[in-house]
Amino acid sequence: MTSPSIRNELDIDIKQVLSRMGYGTAGMPSARIESLVREYADNICHLIEPSYSYVIRDVNSVRGSRVFIEGSVTFRSNVIAKLLRQCPKVAVFVLTIGDRLGEVVRQLSGEGFLVQAAVLDAIGSDAAETLANVVQDIIKSEEAAEGLAISRRFSPGYCDWRISQQKMVFRAMGGDSAGVRLTDGCLMVPQKSISGIIGIGPAGRVESYNPCLTCNKRDCTGRR
Amino acid sequence: MLIEPGMDEDIIGLIRENVIQGRVSQDDEGLDGGMVGQPGVTELTEQALAVGIDVRDIVNKGLTGGMQMVGRRFEDKAYFIPDMLASAEAVGAAMKLLEPHLAHSDIKAEGKVLFATVKGDLHDIGKSIVSILLRSVGYTVKDLGNDVEPQSIVNAVREENPQFLGLSALLTSTMVNMRDTIQALKESGLRDRVKIIVGGAPVTAQYAKSIGADGYGADGFQALEVIKSLTSP
Repeated sequence: MTSPSIRNELDIDIKQVLSRMGYGTAGMPSARIESLVREYADNICHLIEPSYSYVIRDVNSVRGSRVFIEGSVTFRSNVIAKLLRQCPKVAVFVLTIGDRLGEVVRQLSGEGFLVQAAVLDAIGSDAAETLANVVQDIIKSEEAAEGLAISRRFSPGYCDWRISQQKMVFRAMGGDSAGVRLTDGCLMVPQKSISGIIGIGPAGRVESYNPCLTCNKRDCTGRR
Repeated sequence: MLIEPGMDEDIIGLIRENVIQGRVSQDDEGLDGGMVGQPGVTELTEQALAVGIDVRDIVNKGLTGGMQMVGRRFEDKAYFIPDMLASAEAVGAAMKLLEPHLAHSDIKAEGKVLFATVKGDLHDIGKSIVSILLRSVGYTVKDLGNDVEPQSIVNAVREENPQFLGLSALLTSTMVNMRDTIQALKESGLRDRVKIIVGGAPVTAQYAKSIGADGYGADGFQALEVIKSLTSP
């Protein structure tokens, strides 16, 4: 679904953008960097072309680290299997902010405006995450109407879920992947895109599932 | 304009300070703020050329000296990537002004470096940062882009004859293509003609060694140090 109206919901979180660039507890940004982030965050609406798609599929069975999903889709991951063991259904999604922002980043970088390029790139990442939050909320409301709850979202490339499993995520989408395509190496184009799954199950069980709590990889950038 | 005693040192010192502040021009406020209106690296470099300061001093004492300070601050975590990029931007602007003069000076190029993000990977910010840092200290850099096939890298090494090859990958699934690239260079008989440096988030010194690379850089400044150490006889 291409959704220009969603643009208005994509408020950029300045703190998050600065944190993506390394600032935060380790040190504060200079006035120049902070004002650049604020200026860009207020003026990038025309560079964001949000588009998303999601499907709800039945979880047929879970055996070991393999999860068998309706439509000949198999996910392989202990972390995903542990979540989906308690879920009768799973939402599979792909979303993107398009490539216009990426084009401007490449142009700025090519012309030597490196700071602007880095700032805009970080803002683009935040916009994609914010769009993912919006899509997650849409799924949450729909499932709440049926008395079900949703889990956090999980993407191939994180935890023990290999990036090659993107192929299964895209297969589950059944041909509508919001204009996002996969390269042979399973990277998404446009780059500012997110794919993944959200478990759907009984309230009081799936919402709290967080594999990070028992994971020793303390320096993981995806730690929640 | 005549050079008054000490004037060249003053201008070079200001170039160095403005590189540290990441100020391309007088319109920039600088990382510490409040410097709008004062000459930036562009104006100071023009001034240095106008008064006849040796191009070698502008590059070595001013620009490179400034970037060395930036490197130390980055290492001490007082500077972050955007701060370092601001300084690199300022150096880049000065180098553009100096380019026509470099050919007439006896500054010798440090060496030629080819860069590529390996096959399957589209990420290039890290590679671009290392490229900029190397350019700022006198290396000739050619960027082959992203998602580059091993054979294209082999061809480029054959045609460009660089001293160094930098390979970048952001993902565990694509860093294996560094090994394939090195293997392809071996098979073509070109491996020993070039020093290979690898880097990227999942890459470690141990991995670099295991695939037969000559060096590993955890960040841009470390890559620069590794290349410099491999340059030394």
